[in-house]
Amino acid sequence: MEARPALSVQSSGARQLSNLGASGALSSSLPVPTTLGEKYPKLPDSQEVSMERKLMPTPLAFHSSLPSNSGVVGHMFSSSSGFSTDLHFSSASSHEKHSRKAPFISQSSNTGSSVPLTHSCHSGLLQSTATIHCMGQSNRSSWCTDSLPDFFDYPVNTPGQNNQMESSNSGGCVMACEDLSKRNDWLEWADQLITGDDSLTSNLNELLVDTSLADPESKMTYQVAKSSANFSAHQPQVLQQLPAPHEETCAVVTPSSSSNGVPTKPRMRWTPELHEAFVEAVNTLGGSEKATPKGVLKLMKVEGLTIYHVKSHLQKYRTARYRPESSEGSSEKKMTSFEELSSLDLKTGIGITEALRLQMEVQKQLHEQLEIQRTLQLQIEEQGRYLQMMFAKQKSGIDMLKASSSTLENPSAELTDAVQNSPSKNEPGVSQVNCRETKNDQINLTTASDEVSRKLGEKQKAPETKASKDLEANVVEGSNAQPSKRAKADE
Amino acid sequence: MKFGKRLKQQIQETLPDWRDKFLSYKDLKKLVRLISSAPLMLNGSLEYEKSEAEFVYLLNNEIEKFNAFFMEQEEDFIIRHKELQQRIERVINKLGPEGNQPSETDYEEEMARIRKDIVNFHGEMVLLMNYSNINYTGLAKILKKYDKRTGGLLRLPFIQKVLQQPFFTTDLISKLVKECESTIDAVFPVAEEEKIEGEREGITVAGEGIFRNTVAALLTMKEIRRGSSTYGHFSLPPLNLPDSDLVQFLQLNSSIPIL
Repeated sequence: MEARPALSVQSSGARQLSNLGASGALSSSLPVPTTLGEKYPKLPDSQEVSMERKLMPTPLAFHSSLPSNSGVVGHMFSSSSGFSTDLHFSSASSHEKHSRKAPFISQSSNTGSSVPLTHSCHSGLLQSTATIHCMGQSNRSSWCTDSLPDFFDYPVNTPGQNNQMESSNSGGCVMACEDLSKRNDWLEWADQLITGDDSLTSNLNELLVDTSLADPESKMTYQVAKSSANFSAHQPQVLQQLPAPHEETCAVVTPSSSSNGVPTKPRMRWTPELHEAFVEAVNTLGGSEKATPKGVLKLMKVEGLTIYHVKSHLQKYRTARYRPESSEGSSEKKMTSFEELSSLDLKTGIGITEALRLQMEVQKQLHEQLEIQRTLQLQIEEQGRYLQMMFAKQKSGIDMLKASSSTLENPSAELTDAVQNSPSKNEPGVSQVNCRETKNDQINLTTASDEVSRKLGEKQKAPETKASKDLEANVVEGSNAQPSKRAKADE
Repeated sequence: MKFGKRLKQQIQETLPDWRDKFLSYKDLKKLVRLISSAPLMLNGSLEYEKSEAEFVYLLNNEIEKFNAFFMEQEEDFIIRHKELQQRIERVINKLGPEGNQPSETDYEEEMARIRKDIVNFHGEMVLLMNYSNINYTGLAKILKKYDKRTGGLLRLPFIQKVLQQPFFTTDLISKLVKECESTIDAVFPVAEEEKIEGEREGITVAGEGIFRNTVAALLTMKEIRRGSSTYGHFSLPPLNLPDSDLVQFLQLNSSIPIL
């Protein structure tokens, strides 16, 4: 087995690192040993903390994983023991895959040997972090990102070869993309196998609750990493999977971690179009009974779709087709309104049709109200956000003014400067207009948000909202008055 | 505690499978109380950050719970929607007046079944939207409480994230609901006499199930949006159901008896 660790570009790794906000000290802290075992204890604290939780259960696995790292990030975060064999297996097969798909990669990987596993190992890791981060964060269905080429720096073993790799990578981006998406299919798939991960996940969650940019991405990585640890077991099947071409019908896999920081199995969000494609594939294969998940997956050719997604969907589909009565209500205990109303029928004499009509009425009402409520909620938050922004701008403007007004030399010149520097609309020399505009914006905001509140209700809770609006207006006026006065005085 | 009570009511009246999928509002409130009353504030920012982190962690778990459940249901709905459409087509083509084997009785029978199924299907979807909304409301409220009690600034940025979550982006479900409505209108045109008849009779609706649930949801929504002491900029206006016999019926029957 040849080792193709995630070593690549140390410098770019460091860049990625700092981008992620992870400890920049990482790379420097890792020596350049030939044996991996020594390296890990030297991880810097923050990184260690991040990785530690994950590693706690199997620290040794982590340590031992590197020598045989085939270049897939996740291996470093293996949470399974007995890992090296998996790695051997996976590295062999990924090598295979690479040699099929990405000749330039495998070529360089051949030249690599027992690698001087430098700290670039980690950089590589974090590179993929960045990669996956980019994927997770941006448009979910677009797997190809700018940092993707870096991902395939993995197979490059010595830093010296990195430059070569990077240049050749751009050409290989597309293939890298496919590979990556495939690989991520495995990751998701494998991830779904992972059971009993709760403790890990909770540790991870606890740790990575920070709303800063770095964390959601790292969580995504850890999750991905975790799953890739086990992906080797599924090599045979995965290899048969056709590379998914880049199509518009990319499956929307919800990397839930990217938005709320909770790493979980990537959930597929189905759409009617996707379902259509699914049904077509199933029909082509001879119907829901005959179709196999693998076959359907192949036919659908949707990126990001894993066999697990297809499997569960197929199951639901079968249930819906062949037991329409039971599928309409998941449990038998749940009485349908029809049944109730048919008993009512005897009592009140209303027809079933009528009962259904009534039910429909109520449902429509609720739906309408929900829609309206949702729109309002969205608007309210939008206003809130805007308000906050305006307040912040206002405040910084005031602060600057205060700072400048405290100096006694050349107050007028400084004031003008300060006011002009304030974030609100600037027109040179028209400091007063500045302030006024800011104030007007503020008041417009409060008015607008009031209007939102006013929208549906007949009664406006006038006193309270008006009071708060007045308060805000006063604050604004108060803060604006000062600069205006000063400006006037100085002119 | 008003919202908490309402939420609890909703949960009790909801479809049985859904009971444990709602927001653990009470528990979160307890946590907020704990956080604010503990002398952590005095110990400096580190403790505070820790407790905030824990709070956020729990919230994220809740969100994940909503997302998972919501998307699961959504998937089911997509499948069922398609199936219903196909079913209707099949029945019309086979048993309908211009079909292969026209048979009025069979046709009527099948159509009646389909009608019932569609209405229930529609109802379930709307209830899912209600689920989404009530959980969102709960989250917004608990965040507001948190900020108020701990002086934090968690609410605004956090709620922005929540708005993006799958469970809150209910556009697809809404679309399916509307499609259902148009299908019903197309396939089951309502005769005028029916409408008038129905509204005149006093009706008592009862039992578990979708209808009751929907009514409960509407009423709860109304209750929640009634003015409160903390009504302000970020509060929703009072709910105004359009005036109609139906609404009056609902108001009269707010305590729904169980048959």
